[in-house]
Formats: sequence, C-alpha cells, structure tokens
Amino acid sequence: MAGAGQTDTQLVEGNTTETDAVAAVAIGLSAVLFALAVAAMFERVSLTGTLAGVQTVTLLGGLLTALGVAVIAFGAGSRLGYVETDPDPSAGLIAGFGAAVPWVVVGGGVASQTLGLGTAGGAVGALVVGGVAFALTVLPREDLGSTLPLGSLLTLTGLVFLTGVIGPDWVWDLGWAQTASITAEFFIPVATLFSALYGGWASAKSYGGFGARGRHMGAYVLVYLNALSIVAFLFILVAYVVVQGVPGLLTGFELGLGTGPQTTILGVSVTLPVSVPFVMNGVALLNDFQGVLPAIVGTVWLVIGAVVLAVPLGVGAAVFLTEYADRGRFTQVVEVATNGLWSTPSIVFGLFGFAFLIPRFGNGKSLLSGMITLGFMLLPLVVITSREAMLSVPDEYRDASAALGVSKWQTIRSVVLPAALPGVVTGVILGVGRIAGETAPILLTMAGGTFIPGSQTVDVIGSFQFTAAPPFVANPALLEATSALPYQLFALITAGVGLGSSVSDPNAFRWATALVLLVVVLSFYAIGIATRYYFRRRLTHT
Amino acid sequence: MSENTTKQTQTESAATDSDQPLTTTAGETAERTQSEWTEYDFRGEAKMTVDDLDVYYGDDHALKGVSMEIPEQSVTALIGPSGCGKSTYLRCLNRMNDRVSSARIDGSVELGGQEIYQDGVNLVELRKRVGMVFQSPNPFPKSIRENIAYGPKKHGDLDTGLLARLLNRSDADERDELVERCLRDAALWDEVSDRLDDNALGLSGGQQQRLCIARCLSVDPEVILMDEPASALDPIATAKIEDLIDDLAEEYTVVIVTHNMQQAARISDQTAVFLTGGELVEYGDTDQVFENPHSERVEDYITGKFG
Ligand SMILES: Nc1ncnc2c1ncn2[C@@H]1O[C@H](COP(=O)(O)OP(=O)(O)OP(=O)(O)O)[C@@H](O)[C@H]1O
Ligand SMILES: [Mg+2]
Repeated sequence: MAGAGQTDTQLVEGNTTETDAVAAVAIGLSAVLFALAVAAMFERVSLTGTLAGVQTVTLLGGLLTALGVAVIAFGAGSRLGYVETDPDPSAGLIAGFGAAVPWVVVGGGVASQTLGLGTAGGAVGALVVGGVAFALTVLPREDLGSTLPLGSLLTLTGLVFLTGVIGPDWVWDLGWAQTASITAEFFIPVATLFSALYGGWASAKSYGGFGARGRHMGAYVLVYLNALSIVAFLFILVAYVVVQGVPGLLTGFELGLGTGPQTTILGVSVTLPVSVPFVMNGVALLNDFQGVLPAIVGTVWLVIGAVVLAVPLGVGAAVFLTEYADRGRFTQVVEVATNGLWSTPSIVFGLFGFAFLIPRFGNGKSLLSGMITLGFMLLPLVVITSREAMLSVPDEYRDASAALGVSKWQTIRSVVLPAALPGVVTGVILGVGRIAGETAPILLTMAGGTFIPGSQTVDVIGSFQFTAAPPFVANPALLEATSALPYQLFALITAGVGLGSSVSDPNAFRWATALVLLVVVLSFYAIGIATRYYFRRRLTHT
Repeated sequence: MSENTTKQTQTESAATDSDQPLTTTAGETAERTQSEWTEYDFRGEAKMTVDDLDVYYGDDHALKGVSMEIPEQSVTALIGPSGCGKSTYLRCLNRMNDRVSSARIDGSVELGGQEIYQDGVNLVELRKRVGMVFQSPNPFPKSIRENIAYGPKKHGDLDTGLLARLLNRSDADERDELVERCLRDAALWDEVSDRLDDNALGLSGGQQQRLCIARCLSVDPEVILMDEPASALDPIATAKIEDLIDDLAEEYTVVIVTHNMQQAARISDQTAVFLTGGELVEYGDTDQVFENPHSERVEDYITGKFG
C-alpha cells in the first residue's frame, strides 16, 4: 500500500506525499475506531469510564470528528485542485446507495424523534435527507461525491458524541413494549463501528487518488476490516469463555508430587503430580471440590462411538453410490434422503433413540443408545462429503488402474479412497463439531443431570468381558447411563440458583464446564485437522 | 447412416450425403474405399486381428466396419483427423470401451488367436497382456516406486505388505529390481533413481509420461497401446519417447495414435489411416502409405490439403 504511490508519476508533484500521509492517517484512524467500537461492544472498554485520560464517549466523538473533517478536506482539496488525484466523473450508484442508507437513518431519526414530527414526518425526513445524500454522492465529481456525504456523516456523529447529546446514559425508548429500548451501550459502539467502516472506505478511496485505483483501495480496506472483525469476533468469543471459565476450572488446583489422584498406566499404579479436581473428579458428598469428569469421559466416548459407527457405514454407502450404482432414480432418492436426514432436527433423532433404541438396549438410558443416535446423526454428512470427495477424484486414476488390469474394488481401495480421504476427514470434522455439542439427543438417550456422581464415569476399555454365551464379549459400561458435557451445561444453567449448596461458586462451575466443552470439541477438531494434513501430505509429498 | 456398408465396399464419406450409397459416383470428394487398400501383407504373425469392428456411442456410429491385422513386435501407427475414431479403436483393443456405458461394440477382436469379445474373457488378464498409455500423463498420487509396483502388487505378484514383512517374506528386493528395470526400459531411471520415494506428481510432464510407460511395462504386457503419448511434450521429451518406442518394438507389439505425421513416418513399421466418419481408409507399410497412397483422400490428408 505504501510503496504503490512512489512509482506513480504524480509523486513528482511536491505536496502529494503530505496529502497521501493525511489519507493514510485517516485510514489508520478508522482502524483504531473500528477496534474501539468492537471493544466497546464487548464491554472491554467502558463507555462510562475514561480512556487515555479522556471520557470514552468524548474520545470517540473527537476521533470521529477528526476523521470526518480529514475526509472532507481531502475531497475538497482534490476538487479544488490542491491535491493531484484521478477521479471519475461520478462516484457511482453503489456508493450513492451506500451513503444514502446511513443518512436515511439519521434523517428519519432526527425528524421523528428529535423534532417530534411523528412517523409520517420521520418517513419524509428520511427520504429527503437520504435523497440529498444520494444526489450529493452521485452528481458531483467522484472526489467530492465519495467524501462529502460520508465525511459530514462522520462529523455529525462525532459532534453528537462530543457535545454529549448522546452520552453514556442516553436511552431511546422505542415504546413498542415495555422492554424495547435502545441504550447508549448498544448505540454508541454500533454507530462508531459503521462510521469507522464508512470513514475507512472514504479515506481509502482518497488514498488511492479515487478512480479505479481508489475504488480498489476502498474495497480492499472494507474486505480487510471485515476479515479482521471475523477473526476478532472468534478470538473474543474464545477469550471470553476462557476468562470466565479458568477460575472454576482451577478451583483446588494443586501442583506437586503426590497431589494428584492415583491411576494405573500400563499396569503400574502412579500418583499424578498435578491435581485439577474439576476435570478429575465427579460429584460426591465428601469431595472437597466437585468436578465434571463423568461428562468429559462420556462426551469423548460418545464422539468416538458415533464416529466408529458412522464412518464405515457412510464411506461404504458413498463408495456404492459413486462407484457401483448407476446414476438414476435410485441414487437420486438416496441423495435426497441423505440431505433430508442431515437437515433433520436433532431432537427428532433423540426421540427416535428414546423410543426405538432404549427399549432394545436394556430398557434404560445408556451410553450405547447415545452413541448410536449420534452416529445416525453423523451418518448423512459423512455420506455427503465422502461422495463429493470421491466424485472429485479424477477418472484418469480409475482408467490408469483399470488399464493395468486391476479390479474395481482394488482400484477403489488403493487409489480412489486414499485420494478421497482428506475430503472424508473434513466431513467427519464438521460432523463431530455438530454432534459433540448436541444436547437434545443426550437428554433423551443418555440421562445425566446437574451433578453427575463420579461413579458414572464409564470405563469402556476396562469393562470388556468375555462371556461363555454368544456374542462372547460384553461391555456393561456401554449400557450404563452417563452424561455428556453439553447436557450437563444445559442442566446446570436451567437449575438456576439451586446449585449453591453443592459448589461454592455455581457460576464459575458453569463457565468452567463450558470451557471444558470448548476444549474437548477443539481437541477433536485439532485431531481431525492433523489427520487430514497427514493424508493430504501423503498424496502430494510421500 | 447407411447400414449397407460391407467389409468390401464402404462408400459413405463425410463429404457427401449420397442417397444411393452403392453407386459409384466418385466425385472430387467422394471416393470409394477399396478393401485392397486396407489389406496389408506382412511377414510374420498377427498379434491382434480385428474383424469388421463397429462401435456406436448411443446412436453415433463412431467406427464403421474396421478390419485390420496387427503384426507382432512392430510399431503400428494410427493417424487421421480429430474425431475420426482412433482413440475409440484403440480402446476396443483392451476393452477399455466397456467402461463407457453408452458404447456398443460389434465385431471381433482376437489377441493371439483368442477372441476377446466373448463371454468369460478375463478382463484382468486381457488388460495385463494389452497395456495402455494415455494421452495425458496420469500417474497415481503416490511415490514413483509405488506407481510402478502398483500393478504387480495388486495382481499378487509382489507382496511387501506388513504381514509379509513381519514374516520376513517381503518381496522388497524383487520390487526394487522391477522398479529399476521398468524405469530403465522407459529411459527414466537416470533422472529419478535418487528420488524413488518422491511423489510422482512432482515430476515434469515428460517424466510423468515416461513413468506411465514404465508403469505399463511393470505388468509385462505383450501389446502396448499408446494414445498420443507425446502430444503434451516438448521436442526433447518427444524424441526420448520415440527412441523408447523404437526399443520397445523389439520385445512388444506397439500400437500408437499420433497426430504428428513425421512422427508416424519415423517410428512406425505400418500405418493405418482413419478418416472422418470412422472408417479405416488405408492400411499398409508406412513407406508405401506416406509415399504412394492408394487413396486420394489419404494423399490429401497426408499432404495437408484436408484435415
Ligand atoms: N465416451 C464417448 N461418448 C460418446 N461419444 C464419444 C465418446 N468417445 C468418443 N466419442 C465420439 O466418437 C467419435 C470418435 O472419437 P475418438 O475419441 O475416437 O476420436 P479420435 O480420433 O481419437 O480424435 P482425437 O484425435 O481428437 O483424439 C467422436 O465423434 C466422438 O465424439
Ligand atoms: Mg483421441
């Protein structure tokens, strides 16, 4: 961005570097405002407090005003010929609508609320002001059109904040129902956010000297800010859960030899050197600290069980559909059915498990019923993505293999499936993300509750048994009722204040459960990504 | 399209739409194809014998009554304008056309005296004996070594699996010998001997094509079908492949489709010319076909007056 101007011939003109700098500073200002707005929205910056020694709202207002003035100044300077730019005759219809929308809001709001003209007056005000903004954008030359209306908007917003017309205590009662009102806490960040976007757009256009290059710059800044905000949103979400969850997670945390519980690893009994009661304990009367271990183990086994069930079935169905079945009525019906199954609400699956599976597996809620129910939920996605992946394996591979006299099934096994595996894994990753967070099917098939006793921690591996009668193996653990994290979280939240008697800080307990759920799901995700990376590497590097 | 065409008389030509296909109005463009033109007298044994072969794609009659004998241990070139059915013909020789669901094939093809279009033909065995190299290089996304060992492994001739290794019965040495032999035969060994475990997709186009030839050799075929194997390659890689084909003809029967007349003239012993409409118009000794063709249309085609 910075280097681009230097090769331009217009750099020869003396004052261009300084004006470029003004535009660049304006872009930077927009980015800062954008960040502040996001921070304020998530209450990381307090609107009532101060920032850098200034009242937050005043600071926002000042910055917005400065940005608006800079944008207008640049546009006017360009129009009057002080700044060398390359504007088109008009800013264009899209820019016109872009500028009209916020002015419609401003015009309508001011006319109906501030001036008290009522709904009809508001509509007229909105139309008039929006129309003027539109005309001012579209009719003048591009340099003025794409700066003046937006710059004025920014200046207006900034002045409103500066003068305290809208301060931290401002509330706009919508008067719909008792509850509907817009508070400053919501309005100020949102207004700042949009103003920052518009400011960034206008100043990026200015920086590019308008014209094709300017539009490119404008689009670039908008796209960039957008991508950034997505990343920021994700980061804030995770950070929020972590910050809220860590205290609960670390209650009773101890580090040091002999502090942890005893476990057997490879037949040797060892005492772990750390103790994190929250993830190592269930709930018991005599526990110092309560934990969610049964639900963690339940979730992990649930996901493993569902994957073990769904992946072979799904990949097998996909192989049949893509490689063996002729395209026709039948494959279409199967396709529609799988897509429909994938869109089926999870509570319906849960109900199916409750009504169909539970009576068949020991007549009680059990881990096995949960696994099968979630496996069925996962199945359609595995089928869909595996099919896509297999269809995208080039036919040349199949031809090459057939021309060597290799049978169809061997071709599928050794050429088609390996080439399709990364796609299959992607599907499984997406599906696991969905089923690991399911609440409704677990509620109906696996039981659980607010607090799960440590005794419900399933030991699937340890409880394999050989029996004298067919089927010769048994695993009672699969038939035990247990729980999983999403359902426990749901139960904890709906239980409300009643938790107080069992844990010292119910709220921290809930957040810690959420954090653990997040970590478990993200771990599965990481395993999936690593697997996919491995298979993809094998295809391209070996 | 007329069904009156017999093996002896084929009067349909793309240029005329005659109502009376059997009349002998030989205009400037309409010319009677004569059976003598496609009867090629050669010394030695015929490896493959094609008799009155018709191929239809749906209603589209892509090959019309083609009969020809392919002598063993020689190079047979197939030339002709685009869309005249050369690839179709080639794919009939190892029944790859079976994989095209719309294709219907009539007629007879014999390999070493055995009919390949009959019930009970073992396609695995047939395709092992009649190998194929495709127009665009299509190595598997596996290592160079695995690409070549693939066929023999799947046929159970090489076992390098985990079980074999555990039982100390692994054929890894045989495999490496085979890999080296095939790569040497395909004139690729010197270029890749130090990176046999690299992915084949990392090779250049010409190297990939030679790898495909090596892969085809790995199952020890008797006939090698090549569909424009050098069409995507630069002159140097093309020259390498041509030399290679020359060497291969000492041991194998090679049938090659090419658009490059010079190439056909350089490398082949006999040449078959297909013309638009899917007929075989002339087949004979390469020198004779290029220097003294019977058919005017073939002469026009070869001298570039008509494509
Ligand atoms: N899979 C197919 N389905 C339907 N029609 C086909 C198919 N393959 C080939 N054809 C038709 O058969 C005719 C002969 O095709 P073919 O590929 O054999 O030509 P070709 O001589 O190899 O041409 P080129 O030199 O361009 O490769 C063409 O008209 C083509 O459209
Ligand atoms: Mg072809």
